[in-house]
Amino acid sequence: MLRTIKPKNARSKRALEAREPKEVEDPRIAIFVKGTHTGEVVKGAMKDLMALKRPNAISFSKKNDIHPFDAPTSTSGSSSNQSLEFWCAKNDATLFAVGQSTKKRPNGLSFVRMYDGKVLDMIEVGIEKYVSIADIKSAKCTPEYKPLMHFGSELFDTHPRFIQLKSMLMSFFNGEEIDSICLTGLEYVISVTCAPTPATLNTASSSTESTALPKVHIRTYTTKLLSSGTRIPRVELVNMGPSLDIVLRRHTTPDPEMLKQAMKRPKLKKTDVEKGLGKKKKNMEVDEMGDLRGRVHVGKQDLGKLQTRKMKGLKGGNFEAEDAEEDGEEEEEQGGVRKKRKTSS
Amino acid sequence: MDVSKILASHNAKLDSIKVEKETPLDVDAGFLTVTDPNPIDEESYNSNLEEHLQNLARDGVQTLLASLFSLPTLSSPDGPLAQLPAPKTPLPRAKPLPKPKPLTKWEQFAKAKGIQKKKRDKKVWDEERQEWVNRWGKDGKNKQVEEQWIHEVPANADVDYDPRKVARDERKARTAKNEKQRSANVARAQSSGSREERKQDIERTLASSRISTASMGKFDKKLEGEKKLRGVKRKFQPNETSVDEETKASLALLSKMESDSKKMRRDGPVPEGSVLNVRKAVRFASKGQGGVALGRQAAGSKGKKVGKRK
Repeated sequence: MLRTIKPKNARSKRALEAREPKEVEDPRIAIFVKGTHTGEVVKGAMKDLMALKRPNAISFSKKNDIHPFDAPTSTSGSSSNQSLEFWCAKNDATLFAVGQSTKKRPNGLSFVRMYDGKVLDMIEVGIEKYVSIADIKSAKCTPEYKPLMHFGSELFDTHPRFIQLKSMLMSFFNGEEIDSICLTGLEYVISVTCAPTPATLNTASSSTESTALPKVHIRTYTTKLLSSGTRIPRVELVNMGPSLDIVLRRHTTPDPEMLKQAMKRPKLKKTDVEKGLGKKKKNMEVDEMGDLRGRVHVGKQDLGKLQTRKMKGLKGGNFEAEDAEEDGEEEEEQGGVRKKRKTSS
Repeated sequence: MDVSKILASHNAKLDSIKVEKETPLDVDAGFLTVTDPNPIDEESYNSNLEEHLQNLARDGVQTLLASLFSLPTLSSPDGPLAQLPAPKTPLPRAKPLPKPKPLTKWEQFAKAKGIQKKKRDKKVWDEERQEWVNRWGKDGKNKQVEEQWIHEVPANADVDYDPRKVARDERKARTAKNEKQRSANVARAQSSGSREERKQDIERTLASSRISTASMGKFDKKLEGEKKLRGVKRKFQPNETSVDEETKASLALLSKMESDSKKMRRDGPVPEGSVLNVRKAVRFASKGQGGVALGRQAAGSKGKKVGKRK
């Protein structure tokens, strides 16, 4: 859809190369876009989420006619999908938060994740209760710091929809892989907890659509570290906005082929194997000098089948031959050997 | 020495940071995330929601901080930096994995020799002027010989010796060589696969051009390195034949050219690689007679339709 841009100067070439795929990815950029009808709740929620997501967030100011859960009409997907793909390509953004409030689905917020310029999966939630950052009077954290995340409920490990929600929220806020973090910079935590699991969900029945899924509470707290006498400080939490109570609505599962491609990991380099990562290979080890050593197992050798006739050193008998008559003895030996060879062949 | 009191006080301190749960919390330090796999307690949830949520979160964060603070740290001006391990939870990527680019000629050589890449600075110390000068660009040192106002000319030089021009040509030649090497690297990176195909193509055209003489290449001088061609003979028809035989022979030749008995490389109106297999289509439509027969049929039927008009 977009024309491929050929860079005309070094600056545009650098900008283009920054968008190319890398082994360790940059943090995902999210676009916050409003649908045709939004209310105060949805607007406020999107504004607060963007504040948490800064600086990797873009907010579209105009309202757009976008319905992510439209059925695909043409081979290239629905027109909404095409809009999403276009915005993804133009802004180099791989996450979307679409806010839309209708009579049937009030205060709806859809999270969309992209892979390779195409929609990977979508989750729609409805906001039931919302308290903004401005409404909670407390000290706020420094913006643009990385949040800690906490997920509370066994459903986040067992139920497929909650696993998808956890994966989506982690991609949204904490998705980038980093090497180290400043311990003084751990200022706030986003806590996502479920309501108690109703008994019907625990039974492994196929009719999961009929039972209502429990509500999800998203709370954000600033951390206060108190000295505890040991190296690890005691933490106390202070409520900071926003706080959302959401209920899961529609969702789409990712295409298994696309998901398989998206989950591919780069091959481990030698440095990582030395560090001890990767599969525990039994025949590789790092010795004291820091070199990577391997063992090759050749298998057991059948010593009976060893060809000893061609090894002169193993000729038994005249080992303690007299030194004086070495030459003569040697000649005899050679003659003897030659005779032996003739008989054997 | 009463150790029990010291132990008791130490344990008391540890209590403040200890978190006891039924199932231990799952900490993913790489993503700064903690998951609590314990089921939610209904009573405390129903009694005071916010307090319950805050307590849950506090316990989770305490466990997460415990693992974060026990990671190896580096000191930095901003404070201690904890070295994070690799993340445990698999998250999908945003873009596909980059395809490994083939190494350039220099990169292959440097890798084999073990040469490290050295980054050069833009400024270079100039001893004469005692200041930092650009290596290239505005007032660059690489243009100094061209731009200076006086040149020493050797005694045996030409009358038209222009040192400025000579220096400029050298610089331009260096740039051109670099550009040539860069484009060769780019070309090698793009087309690493189809070299064998092109080689086979060339050999085929060469073979056909060698027999494209009147005597089928029999009396041509063979160049060294050329392979010997087998089974190439020219048949001579008798000089006098009947008209019928001649017409038959000519039509047979045309049919052979159009038919599919001998596969000949042709890029017809339908290009190679398209969905339609022209050869098979013609064979099917003409019931094995070939394209010329098909054309004759079509012409015949058209003629009959049109009729003779006078």
